[in-house]
Amino acid sequence: MDTLISLLQIGIGAAIINNFVLHYFVGICPFLGVSRKVETAFGMGCAVTFVISIAALLSWTFTYFILRPGAPLPGWVWRVAGGDPATSVDLSVLSYIMYIFVIAASVQFVEMYVRKFFPPLYKSFGVYLPLITTNCAILFACLEIMKNLQDPTRLWGLHEALTLALGGGVGFTLAITLMAGIREELDMCDVPKPLRGPGISLLTAGILAMAFMGFAGVDKSVADALKRLTENGTPRVEHRTLNTEY
Amino acid sequence: MSNHDPTALERLINGILPENPVYRQLLGMCPTLAVTGAVKPAMTMALATAFVLISANCMVSLIRGLLRPHLRILVFTLTIATFVTIADRVLAAYLYEMSKQLGPYVPLIIVNCLIISRCEICASKQSLPVALADAVGVSLGFALALGSIATVREVLGSGTWFGLAVLPSNWPNWGIMVLPPGAFLTLGILLGLVEWLADRRRKHVT
Amino acid sequence: MLATVTILLAAAILAVLAVGVAYVLGWANRTFHVAVDPKVEAALDVLPNANCGACGFVGCSEYAEAIARGDAEVTLCAPGGAGCAQRLAEILGVTVEESYPYRAVVHCAAHYDDRLLRTHYSGEATCASANLVAGVQGCTYGCLGFGDCTRACKYDAIHIIDGLATVDYHKCIGCKACARACPRNIISMVPFKQERMFVVACSNQDKGPEVQAVCTVGCIGCTSCTRRAELMQMQGNLPVVDYERYEGNDHFEPALAKCPRASMIYVGKPSPADLVAVADEQLPDRVEADFKTTVDETEWRG
Repeated sequence: MDTLISLLQIGIGAAIINNFVLHYFVGICPFLGVSRKVETAFGMGCAVTFVISIAALLSWTFTYFILRPGAPLPGWVWRVAGGDPATSVDLSVLSYIMYIFVIAASVQFVEMYVRKFFPPLYKSFGVYLPLITTNCAILFACLEIMKNLQDPTRLWGLHEALTLALGGGVGFTLAITLMAGIREELDMCDVPKPLRGPGISLLTAGILAMAFMGFAGVDKSVADALKRLTENGTPRVEHRTLNTEY
Repeated sequence: MSNHDPTALERLINGILPENPVYRQLLGMCPTLAVTGAVKPAMTMALATAFVLISANCMVSLIRGLLRPHLRILVFTLTIATFVTIADRVLAAYLYEMSKQLGPYVPLIIVNCLIISRCEICASKQSLPVALADAVGVSLGFALALGSIATVREVLGSGTWFGLAVLPSNWPNWGIMVLPPGAFLTLGILLGLVEWLADRRRKHVT
Repeated sequence: MLATVTILLAAAILAVLAVGVAYVLGWANRTFHVAVDPKVEAALDVLPNANCGACGFVGCSEYAEAIARGDAEVTLCAPGGAGCAQRLAEILGVTVEESYPYRAVVHCAAHYDDRLLRTHYSGEATCASANLVAGVQGCTYGCLGFGDCTRACKYDAIHIIDGLATVDYHKCIGCKACARACPRNIISMVPFKQERMFVVACSNQDKGPEVQAVCTVGCIGCTSCTRRAELMQMQGNLPVVDYERYEGNDHFEPALAKCPRASMIYVGKPSPADLVAVADEQLPDRVEADFKTTVDETEWRG
């Protein structure tokens, strides 16, 4: 139950409270570029969610076994080479290169696979896949996973990494679809000329970001409520009675 | 529009204002919004991006004869990733506090559309001096953009500039400015301003 | 020692990764290969890629796919013209008869001064709006001159000159945007079998006295032209030119000479004689619409 609660916290955190687009500013380029119509925006969001999950899976595997300080593979090589067991080889300097390589290769692979076996799916979001290779959101998810694999006492498992990735993808889809809906309406409005296009989109994004700030603390409240549910049978806070005896 | 390829000097000057990467080309938005809460991190980011852009442009220009068409984006990305790793390690070594403040945004320079686009458009086709001038111009433009947004956000949001107090202490700090919404709003309004100025210039010329 | 092992291990891991990924992607490329019709690629190369929509498809790639499937004629591309149609025909191995470029023709010849019973209009300065209001000008069929077609044209090929929409045949590519935009449907597409074509520049379906009351140049339906030119037929009170059988301009000379009004004209690129005739003249200033309203300063479109 505890893991479930922490997963929920991570997921809600990534999707809504620390929304990838509106809080961390990653994935702005497709956010402004592809969010003209709701259908295309939703397609882009699904594509990003799909790729981010695959990238998280691969990068977690690589980071856990090779790149983090104290990883098994370099440790084994070091021992075999007869090195001092107190120190070890630290390959974390390879992180960025490996992540980007993995993302690019997996996107390429996925694109070929989808094009062959799911043609209707390819028609709806396959064309966005090459764009996603340089999408900050994917690399950001990988970096977050790497950040949580640095401390040997609190290592994230694969389930946490995937939850972060899925949550991030869902949050991105939510933000981009909302933006597309608003922009479709904005098309009919009389926007002042200098602000047309990216200007008004950014202002709208700012107001959206303000709205999403209202979700702050939701993950903690939900987690606390669930904890109380499992412990006390009720999610409510027990009323404390005043101790009037002095 | 001139009908010859822009010379090195023209590219350098173009990158600063007429084809400013953030205000005119709308590239590299992610770091622009993320690190411009204060001027110091913004300038550090601009410096890091400048280093990566100039190095990557030079490297790509040197190997432009060896590029295969379907692999070139991957080659650009890997080159940029190498230089970003260098920049990240140097920052962590010499400016640790700033590195912690910038957090994941230094490695995100790898996927900064700006650098890949300059490599693709300019460095992969031009000789070394031209690519170098282009990179320098665009870096200056990027620094200008980051600096302007960070100035607005820091002065209004904390009453300071580069850590030095510039507004009287009874200024109610506009907290929204240093938070994410403030970034969007500032960039949107400044974009509108630049667009309006460019429009006026166009009307003036014609 | 630590440094050496680190560097060697890093290089080895990257090398293994690179080789592994290359193998996997190479295998995937062959296994997941999707046969793309080379005809579609070749067709896309030939098409102008303007994505104007004149062919009736959403974009050049849609049209290319339709051609490759055999669902569409190769002659539908207006900007590409006859040359493009020929090359497409070669790619697909079909024969195509000679086709001509279609260009927009405005079927109205009345400038501001020719229109009678004009009133002051203070509504929205678009043809679509003015068309809904009664009495903006006497003729309810002809050009209103508020420029919906000008705004629809992406190629700067049609302008309102002295209140009448005038096509610039140097720039028109035949995308039909103006024809679709005109609320009175007086712009039609005419195959330009030669540089200057004979057209009937009036859309007024009323007869004699009614037309004379609203316009000084409109067609009164006297049928003098149809009696002198075989390719002209009366449809209601307006003559219509048969462009399918159109061969030369000389056929229409007697009709043109006998027309009591100025409703039949030549349109197209200026002939050498015309150019010589105006060589000494100074170009007049373009006269903009004289309906100045309070909403003209804004771009409010409701």
